[in-house]
Amino acid sequence: MSSPVSALKLTGLAKSFGASIAVDCLDLDIRAGEFYALLGPNGAGKTTTLRMVAGLLSADAGGIEIFGINARRAPIEAKRITAWLPDEPMLYDKLNPLEYLEFVAGLWSIDASEAQSRARELCEMLDLWKHRHERCEGFSRGMKQKVALAGALIHNPRLLMLDEPLTGLDAAIARQVKDILVERVRAGAAIILTTHILEVAERLADRIGIIQRGRLIAEGTLAQLRGVSGSSQSTLEDVFLRLTQATELAA
Amino acid sequence: MKFRPGSFPWLVAHDLRLGFARARSIFGDARPATILAVVAAIVAVFHLLAWPAALWFIRVDGEAGASALNYPALACAALFVLPWLVSQALSNATRALYSRGDLDLLLASPLSARTVLAARALAIAIESLMSVGVFLFPLANMAALLGGWRWLAIYPALAAGGLLATGAGLAVTVALFALVGPKRTRFVSQILATFIASAFVLSAQLVNVLPEELRDSVVATFNHPQSGSWLDRDGFIWLPARAASGESAALALWCGAAVLVFAVSAVALGPAFMASARRSAGVGGATGKTRASARARRFRAGVGVALRRKEWLLLRRDPFLASQLLLQIVYTLPISVVIWRSLGPNGSLALAVSPCIVVLAAQISASLAWLAVSSEDAPDFLASAPVSRAQVERNKLAAVFAPLGLFLAAPCLALAFVEPDMALLTVVFALGAAASTALLNMWRPHPGRRSDMMRRHQQSKIIGLMEHMIALCWAVATVLAIMMSFTTLLPIALVAALLWCNHPRGAPRAAIAG
Repeated sequence: MSSPVSALKLTGLAKSFGASIAVDCLDLDIRAGEFYALLGPNGAGKTTTLRMVAGLLSADAGGIEIFGINARRAPIEAKRITAWLPDEPMLYDKLNPLEYLEFVAGLWSIDASEAQSRARELCEMLDLWKHRHERCEGFSRGMKQKVALAGALIHNPRLLMLDEPLTGLDAAIARQVKDILVERVRAGAAIILTTHILEVAERLADRIGIIQRGRLIAEGTLAQLRGVSGSSQSTLEDVFLRLTQATELAA
Repeated sequence: MKFRPGSFPWLVAHDLRLGFARARSIFGDARPATILAVVAAIVAVFHLLAWPAALWFIRVDGEAGASALNYPALACAALFVLPWLVSQALSNATRALYSRGDLDLLLASPLSARTVLAARALAIAIESLMSVGVFLFPLANMAALLGGWRWLAIYPALAAGGLLATGAGLAVTVALFALVGPKRTRFVSQILATFIASAFVLSAQLVNVLPEELRDSVVATFNHPQSGSWLDRDGFIWLPARAASGESAALALWCGAAVLVFAVSAVALGPAFMASARRSAGVGGATGKTRASARARRFRAGVGVALRRKEWLLLRRDPFLASQLLLQIVYTLPISVVIWRSLGPNGSLALAVSPCIVVLAAQISASLAWLAVSSEDAPDFLASAPVSRAQVERNKLAAVFAPLGLFLAAPCLALAFVEPDMALLTVVFALGAAASTALLNMWRPHPGRRSDMMRRHQQSKIIGLMEHMIALCWAVATVLAIMMSFTTLLPIALVAALLWCNHPRGAPRAAIAG
């Protein structure tokens, strides 16, 4: 049996801002077809890690490999199969959803007719179709988040990085988004998600990584994490708090 | 002084505090003592500059008695001040309507909507008044110091002008809202405010363009109007000038009329303004144009097409851009008229027009490049796309040049009919100027909001200075080239040196991370 393909491989990744160490020799291996939740307290280095993978920050040291592509050496090729959805939707207020999706499709060099049908499919799936000609400036936060998610999905990324993707979404849409993400994973994409809503990670993630002070302090399935924390019946919230508090005390 | 929370003066004080905070932001993180020192220095300089004008006022008073006035001069002053006040009031009223700020909070509170509007209107009047008062109050002070106490009447006369202008501004805003709807009111009012504000500039140039005989005749008519004509000094048209010069009956009438207009506007238009404010809260949806064009349009592929198209859509939908660019044109074009007239009847048209076209190209290009690069709404998103920084910059530059071509086509074509070779030279130099200021803005980005385009130089005064210097160098180079002088290369070399100094040479840039 062949070993699963590595979707994202971080080796000794490091980043400092002046004297403050944001990411400290981080090693991570996320496989294709895996839903990975990266958890950590505020300022643990989650977003910095994702920004380095997305090519928005240059790493001080270490390697980033996305489906075998060295992202530090060939960033354009790596970005072609990647999507990053930050917690604050990156939109243009004066564009409508269709114009935004056309723009995104253009940047990722997707064939026009394919992009058009994909845009329609995504708009319908995310309940945006009836708002497709309205400018984003009038949208609620949840609506903006949906447009940004459609933009992240339009080029069928193989690695999807989501920073707090469910913020501002109503229950029905949040459920829809979760279904879409699960479907993506089943189709072979890898998803790395950061969230403070631990129930989401508990329900969706195949594996969970807990990061603190820029280092990975625990990683595994929920059952494995329960084992590490020594409480077999605990919720992820209990496990998370126990592990992070223990690390904090040790530091 | 403390006012009762929720009372009218408390609301006015609240609005003024917000206005003060906006004004204070010009100074960035400077300490209060520094700000105070700078403001005191500015006030002192304005008083010094007002000294010769005040001396002239006193001399006229002394020569011809208190009742005699230099009416053409006062008419010019009124022609400048009143449109400016109306323009400011219109802009401020529109801003109050659209930049929600705390309006939603106030409207949701148990305060009467009428009180909220009246307070906001008074704050608008005070802000509009201060925009002119900063120049005119020193004049009143200096004239009073020199013994012309009656010139202190400028204070109440100007305050009345502010109230009157605010009443007009509110009425126009509400009327526009009813006539053109919430989606277009902001755009139309910006254009309107620009034209009203430029009334003085255009009028002043109109006097310059008139043949000498006609101009003398106009001045004579103003100085010695026929009794009973519309220029008769007892008529309403001179009321603001007579009020500002301290004529007590005129001052009382002017102030009374202003208070009445303001009160009636605030009371009568209050509900309509508040209804407009509530409706404007939902503005941002589709316009008919967007809907129709989007339905008919098919997606187009390609990185370059996507980048340029996005920039053009954003430029086209920028509610402030048209008026701000128009303002630059309106203020620059009269200069060419002045140069043309000074060259005499046999002067070259190109010598008058070409440097102005080149300066305009540099300014417009700088503004558009700043919008495209520094006020990019989603720089992180662009950085996460599989597109190189060079590709992004190249396409943004191309996107900037297309609307610039639209702006410059008409004057260059007109020049081509008269002096075709000079028109070609103008196009070359205009493109050079445009490329220079665009590159400067691309290499030295200063992130900011689109609505802050005209205030962008407050962020980096050095960039602003260099921008103006580049425009000036290209204008001088154009003049020298028209005169067939090889020294035209000198200012161009200076521009090249400036750009070379600002080239990032691989350094990380703020707006587009790589």
